[in-house]
Amino acid sequence: MQRFACLKTLAPLAGDALVVSSAGAVTLEWNALRPSGGNFRVRTLGLCSSIALGMALGLPEHKVIALDGDGSLLMNLSTLPTIARMKPKNLLHIVFDNEVYEASGSKKTATGAGTDLVGMARAAGIETAHWVDSVDAFAQAAKRALSARVRALSASRSVPSALPWRLTQSTKSKTSTALSVTSKRSPTSKF
Amino acid sequence: MNSTEAAQTIVAALCGAGINFVATLPDINLSELLQAVEESRELIHVPVCREEESIGICAGGYLVGKKCAAIMQNGGFFNSNNAIVSTLLQYQIPLLLLIYYAGDVGDRTFSTTGGLTEPVLQALGIRYYIMRATEDAAELIRRAQILTEDSKRPVALLLTKEFLGRRAALRAF
Repeated sequence: MQRFACLKTLAPLAGDALVVSSAGAVTLEWNALRPSGGNFRVRTLGLCSSIALGMALGLPEHKVIALDGDGSLLMNLSTLPTIARMKPKNLLHIVFDNEVYEASGSKKTATGAGTDLVGMARAAGIETAHWVDSVDAFAQAAKRALSARVRALSASRSVPSALPWRLTQSTKSKTSTALSVTSKRSPTSKF
Repeated sequence: MNSTEAAQTIVAALCGAGINFVATLPDINLSELLQAVEESRELIHVPVCREEESIGICAGGYLVGKKCAAIMQNGGFFNSNNAIVSTLLQYQIPLLLLIYYAGDVGDRTFSTTGGLTEPVLQALGIRYYIMRATEDAAELIRRAQILTEDSKRPVALLLTKEFLGRRAALRAF
C-alpha cells in the first residue's frame, strides 16, 4: 500500500486543518497534494507529534493532523503517554509505518524487526489505536475521525466518546495502516 | 519568602509577561512551582515525559499564537538540545526556558551537570540570566519575554534554589 495513495484520500478531507508532517518524503507528498500555509514541515526527527500536540492544545477548536512515520515516532515514544494524558479532541495522529528510515538510506527501523507501534500506543493509553489494512479503510477512518463530534464530558475516563484509531501504513509485505485521533478530554486532573 | 510564595510569585510573573502555555517536567526543587502552574487558571499546562517534547509542544503552541514557557531541570535542557537547535533555532521560534540550576554553588551531586550548563547555553548562543532574587521575578521575566520575542531566539532563565525559596539568598549575588 502506498503512502501517497492514502494521502490522496486525506487531502480533500483535511479542509483547513493544520497539518504537521514529519521530516521525510511524506512532507513532499503532502505539500504536492494540499499546498497550504497551514502545512508545517518538521526538521527534528521525532518532534512531529509533539508540535502537532502543541498546536492542537493551543487551538482547541481547530483540527490538527500529524503525518508521522515509524522512525520518527520511535525517536519520540514519550509522545504517546503525553498525548494520551492530554487527550486533545482535535488531534489526528497518523503514522505511516514503512519499517525503514526512508530518508536515511532505508535501513530497517525496530518496527521492521517486530515492534508494534499500535500496541505501544494502546499501552500508553491511546486505547482504541488500531491498524487499518487498505487505502479505502484509511479513507473511511480518516473521514470518521475528521468529522468526529465533540461530546459532553462524562465522569469516567475509561471510555472515549469518539473512537480514536491509529493508521499506519507499511509499504513492505505486511500492508497495514492505523490512524489515531484522540478526541475526548478527560475531566480528571492530568497532573 | 518560602517556596510556596516563590512559586506563586513566579507564576504571577509568567502570567504578567503574557505567558499562557507551559510545558513542564518535574524536579524536586520545582515541585511548588509546577503545582502553582497546574493550579493556575491562566496557563495551559502540558506535563511531558521527556523534556525534548516540551520544545516541540511549545513550538507548536507558538505557531498557533500562544506565548510559551518550558520548565525543566538543566539535565533536561541537555536532553532537549537537538530539538532546540533544529526546531527553535532553525525556525527562529522564541521560547522562555525556565531551567532549574542543579549543581549550583553549594549543591552536592550535580557538579558535572551544573558546570556544563552555562557553557552549553553559550555554545548554543542562548542568552541566559541566573535568577537569584524572587523579588525581581516579575520584571526579569517580563524583560526576558521581550528579548525572546524580539530576537526570535530562546532565552533561558536559570532558577536557583534561592529564587525558588529553598535556600537563603546571598548578598554576593
